[in-house]
Amino acid sequence: MTGPLIPMGYIPEAWNNVIAVLLGAGFGFTLEASGFSSSRKIMGTFYGYDFVVLRVFFTAAITALVGLMYFDYLGWADFSMMYVLPTYLTAAIVGGIIMGMGFAMGGYCPGTSFCAIAIGKIDALVFTTGLLIGIFAFSEAFPLVEKIYESGNLGSIKVSDSLGISDGVFTFILIIVALGMFFGATLVERKVKKVEY
Amino acid sequence: MEKSSEKSNWRNGTFYLNPYLGGMFLGLVLLATFYITGRGLGASGAVKNTVVTAVHTIAPRHTENSHYYNKFISTDTQPMNNWLVFEVLGVLAGALLSGILYGRLNFKTEHSPKITTKKRLIFAFSGGILFGIGSQLARGCTSGAALSGMAVLSAAGFITMMAIFGTAYIFAYVFRKNWI
Amino acid sequence: MNKQYLLLSAILILAGIGLMLTPKKSAVKELNPEQLLLAVDDPSRFLSTDLITERIIKKDPSLLLIDVRPAEQYKVFSLQGAVNIPLSLLFSEEAKTLLGQEGKEKVFFSNDDILADQAWQICKRIKMNDIFVMKGGVNFWFNTIMKDNPPNVTDDSKAQDLYTFRKAARQYFMGNTNQSQGNSSESEGKKEGVNVVKKTTSKSSGGGC
Repeated sequence: MTGPLIPMGYIPEAWNNVIAVLLGAGFGFTLEASGFSSSRKIMGTFYGYDFVVLRVFFTAAITALVGLMYFDYLGWADFSMMYVLPTYLTAAIVGGIIMGMGFAMGGYCPGTSFCAIAIGKIDALVFTTGLLIGIFAFSEAFPLVEKIYESGNLGSIKVSDSLGISDGVFTFILIIVALGMFFGATLVERKVKKVEY
Repeated sequence: MEKSSEKSNWRNGTFYLNPYLGGMFLGLVLLATFYITGRGLGASGAVKNTVVTAVHTIAPRHTENSHYYNKFISTDTQPMNNWLVFEVLGVLAGALLSGILYGRLNFKTEHSPKITTKKRLIFAFSGGILFGIGSQLARGCTSGAALSGMAVLSAAGFITMMAIFGTAYIFAYVFRKNWI
Repeated sequence: MNKQYLLLSAILILAGIGLMLTPKKSAVKELNPEQLLLAVDDPSRFLSTDLITERIIKKDPSLLLIDVRPAEQYKVFSLQGAVNIPLSLLFSEEAKTLLGQEGKEKVFFSNDDILADQAWQICKRIKMNDIFVMKGGVNFWFNTIMKDNPPNVTDDSKAQDLYTFRKAARQYFMGNTNQSQGNSSESEGKKEGVNVVKKTTSKSSGGGC
């Protein structure tokens, strides 16, 4: 069966929600078990006392990327059928900057805040309330930001194409960079004073 | 003797998966998500969908006239919108399971000893608002845009990831008292 | 512990090298044959001449009419506001810019709908969206809109309404022609086309496609 299974029509739609819950549960379990339910553990990446976010995030992205590319090569899944988030250059950068500020202040991102709520973190519940209000405010004030939202549209481009190298070469460089970061993170962790949390 | 002490150790709330093992599991879940649904995982999308549905129920005319809401109102069946909500329900269940397994369930507000609980909550709230606005502008959050985007080599995924982490590093210095 | 990490790193690097060595797939995104069959089987791409006429009159900004007949036929007569992309030039740079416009519904048409449907299938195969075909083509459009075929008195009100609409549309196009008579040579060319349409009809019977 060539994936993706649901868009190709291999799985009846009734199963959609069941699959969503199961995949979500895998997602939530792994995040929580890796320590993403603690905002102070997450923030360790930015102060050098615990690089768990960096490690988990890049390992996950590379595992999925390498897996998808081999699936594509072996004919198990069609890489070109995968949804590639369209690139709106300005919107992505401005949005990323705003999220970065929110990250440094709140200590969670939406996914990790859900995990933290599940194990009873009150700050995460407050964070998610803020998230809800932020999204509501954005939707209401959309006419003011519509220009930024729509600006810099480059379509669903791949980073390797915009750099002019093949997917394989880019993935290889990404792997090397990530391994370098993991190594560097270990060195930094040794020097930085441990923080109790 | 030894075994029981070890057992109590991994259930007392301090045990975490090896980050590389955790990352690999997460990567496999993401891979499975792409293989089955053709798109990645998400988190902020579920909140957005909740907001849109709520506003649409209260003031349908308002949502129909809004350029933003009407992008997401489903006139017919748009399974992928609901999909994220169910996925987030799964996230909650999965995290709860892990919390029970590793003994991390308890109500508390986590903060640096240097700040008060109230300050922590105010910052969490403000951070949430900013994350909400940013995630809509960038069309996804850390999971939906950065992680899932990177897994399919989306340029937007890499740009958003760098913007989030880069800015967070800069502002981490500003807010260092809140954390260390 | 360190040895394990070294081993894992080595495996990852090997996997990366493997990916670099795998042959690159063709960059063009195409529908696979099954998907194309599904798309071709779906009649929703056909838009009726009445619908198109209505949208022309309303000056619908999201409508992009594309005449895929050879340039000579386009010069003789074409629908109002249509651009000419002869089928043989479907992949030219100009055509790519025109067809790449977001938020426009691109409607192909030819004398009948065979040539237009060919253009549609080619575009569909390279995963183009928002593309349609005008059912029946210019000939059908002319016969239904520009020719007077009053309905029978016994026909239902729907048929009567349609007739009224077509009559109004005809007046719109005729009137437009008269008005623009003195304006520009370009529209004059088109207007004359309306009178010469019979010629187009005969051409198509000779096999426009």
